[in-house]
Amino acid sequence: MKQPKISRRGLVKGSLMAAAAGGTATFFGPWQHNRVWAQGAKKPIKLGLTCDASGQYGNSGQDDVRGIRMAIDECNAKGGVLGRKVEWITADTETNPATGTRVAERFIAQEQCAFLIGAVHSGVANAITQVAGKYGTVYLNTNSSAPSEAGENCSRVKFVWDGNGTNFSKAAVQNAVERIGKRWLLLTNDYVWGHTTSAATKAQVEKAGGQIIDNLLVPQNTRDFASYLLKVQQAKPDVVATAVGGDDIKALRQQVSDLKLEDKTAWINNQQDWPDIWGAPETLFGVFGTTWYHKLPLPGVADFVKRWQTTYPQSPIPVPGNVSYNGYMATRELLRAVERAGSTNNLKVIKALEGHKMSAADRMQHFDAYIDPATHQVQQTIYLARRNAKPADKTDLFELISWTKPESALDDAAPGKCKLKADAEVPSYEM
Amino acid sequence: MSLLNLLPHLLNGITLGLLFALIALGFMLILGLMEQINLAHGSLFALGAYFAYAIATPRLPLPDDMLQAWAGVPLGWRFTAALLLAPVLVAPFGLVLERLMRRTYGRDPLYGLLLTFGVAMVLEELIRVVWGTRDYMIPVPRAMAGGFIMLDLIWSTYRFWAAALAIAAMALVWVIVERTRFGAMVKAGAHDSEIVQALGIDLTRLRVWVFVLGTMLAAFAGVILAPLWGIRPHMGVDAVVPAFLIIVLGGVGSFWGAVIGGLLVGMVVGLSGAYASEWSMLSMYLLLIAVVTFRARGLFGKKSILEA
Repeated sequence: MKQPKISRRGLVKGSLMAAAAGGTATFFGPWQHNRVWAQGAKKPIKLGLTCDASGQYGNSGQDDVRGIRMAIDECNAKGGVLGRKVEWITADTETNPATGTRVAERFIAQEQCAFLIGAVHSGVANAITQVAGKYGTVYLNTNSSAPSEAGENCSRVKFVWDGNGTNFSKAAVQNAVERIGKRWLLLTNDYVWGHTTSAATKAQVEKAGGQIIDNLLVPQNTRDFASYLLKVQQAKPDVVATAVGGDDIKALRQQVSDLKLEDKTAWINNQQDWPDIWGAPETLFGVFGTTWYHKLPLPGVADFVKRWQTTYPQSPIPVPGNVSYNGYMATRELLRAVERAGSTNNLKVIKALEGHKMSAADRMQHFDAYIDPATHQVQQTIYLARRNAKPADKTDLFELISWTKPESALDDAAPGKCKLKADAEVPSYEM
Repeated sequence: MSLLNLLPHLLNGITLGLLFALIALGFMLILGLMEQINLAHGSLFALGAYFAYAIATPRLPLPDDMLQAWAGVPLGWRFTAALLLAPVLVAPFGLVLERLMRRTYGRDPLYGLLLTFGVAMVLEELIRVVWGTRDYMIPVPRAMAGGFIMLDLIWSTYRFWAAALAIAAMALVWVIVERTRFGAMVKAGAHDSEIVQALGIDLTRLRVWVFVLGTMLAAFAGVILAPLWGIRPHMGVDAVVPAFLIIVLGGVGSFWGAVIGGLLVGMVVGLSGAYASEWSMLSMYLLLIAVVTFRARGLFGKKSILEA
């Protein structure tokens, strides 16, 4: 039997190929516990802003960016974090989960972003979470408010900054069932936020002794609501509770106000984002929720608004609203957490955020807030508002009618649905 | 489901269908004669809405005193001016687009498709640069605004005005296509462009006029729909998808195909919105699949470029 001959050249070539293959394998994974980049004392910390610039939440996504950038600018003006400058990059996630996945993957694997921030659409937020979870990258969901984000779709690496559908429903429903009526009709955007928010509303209505007489699902990008509005009129509910967002709610508001249907039945619009309201303020109606308003009579609010306006003199939206506020607060707290952790190590940063308490004064809200360690959702003051009949200026669109303590608006079911991974199961990194 | 409950939704479907048909009409003209799928149709629709907004509100680049004087004109006249002038202002964009498309004539339709897709993106960005990303609303005259009661329900007054204007525009297009020499040339050009040229008809000029007419119809539809759907930079997408679907459903190059296709889509969307709301967006696509499964050329179509 002829023995295979191994030449010196072949041996060298084979060794090189084996080394290259081994190196490649090491580079591509497993990532668990082995992502450590050369840090250089002054290497900037890069943040990936996963925000929509187009699609249903394009306007809100850009307002989110404004808040995030302002927090970064202010941080850099004070010397950065851990003596390192903070940099950012952004890409349009297009209100599309598939795009959100691609952007998150690129930001982490190619751009070496230390942290991801931003989202309005819950489907996009969930898609980004999947990618972030794979790499262990800390992700701040700034503005998507599906209850599932801090429930069944929660993650150890994700922190949810907005109030969610359950929080707003708890603040609004009990009182409305008692004072307005028991027959409720739901108008639900046909995606995860709409479904989970309406489910939360339904639970609250039934708990308060009310009844859901119909739930009309509204596909995303619906522009013509005439058939829905005819159906609403035929059903004659006491209350219509909407979980419709972005451009869809703007079209709905326009068509409801044109028919003056807001006078015929009571409308509770779960949460109204400021960029959606600013798009068509004259069509604002019903009772709706928010987490912040630029005319809250609290210390620091006026100064924050002034700083924001100085930063963005050409902004298409003249004052910050809840979306920009959430972006700012989330980013500021992330950078503070890095400072507290003394490191960009993701597990240390996660621990610095979990259970973190924030004073009402610091957050410019009525009550103290905290990051729930069981769900990673910020529990905060929940405001209910309606259209301001006596505005002080053209931006004074809200009349705040109540502010609810975080404990009273808590999503009790979320901890049971949210299963957070242990440290050992989270890929770690430091960069 | 009693007839009394169903009736409002049938009526709503018809009004919606007329609006869809109006959106599709300009698309049909260009596809019918030039065998080009104009994906910029939606952007021209959006431009019509934005120009109408500028005229009606008014936000025109005019000297202050002229602007003040125009603002003092009753809204009814400003809205009428927007209806008539916005399509005229959008027409030059159609002229430029037609000029750009000339190199694609007679070639694989994919070239025209890609070109118009690119133009659509450029126009949408142009809108963002000029008007920003925020939404706008066009106020409508008092006589057209608000609601009225019929069948014990409140109906949008403007919706019926819009449907009536759509019928008027469709009637005008029908007269042009069916009762004028220009229309005869357009139909002949769509049927056999070589013979038309051999007869001494300037096909290039004919194409320009058809493109301008299609552009103006898109812009007119934008003005009509703006008070109902609102104005935003990506509103063109809301128009171009149903327009394309209606043309394929009704049959490429068929006037009545566009009208009947629009009405069918309106009825299906309206009824599904009321009785199976989660299917309301999907229903038009299911209708298309159902029709093209049995008749690939659409309801009234002759041989289509899509079969080539």
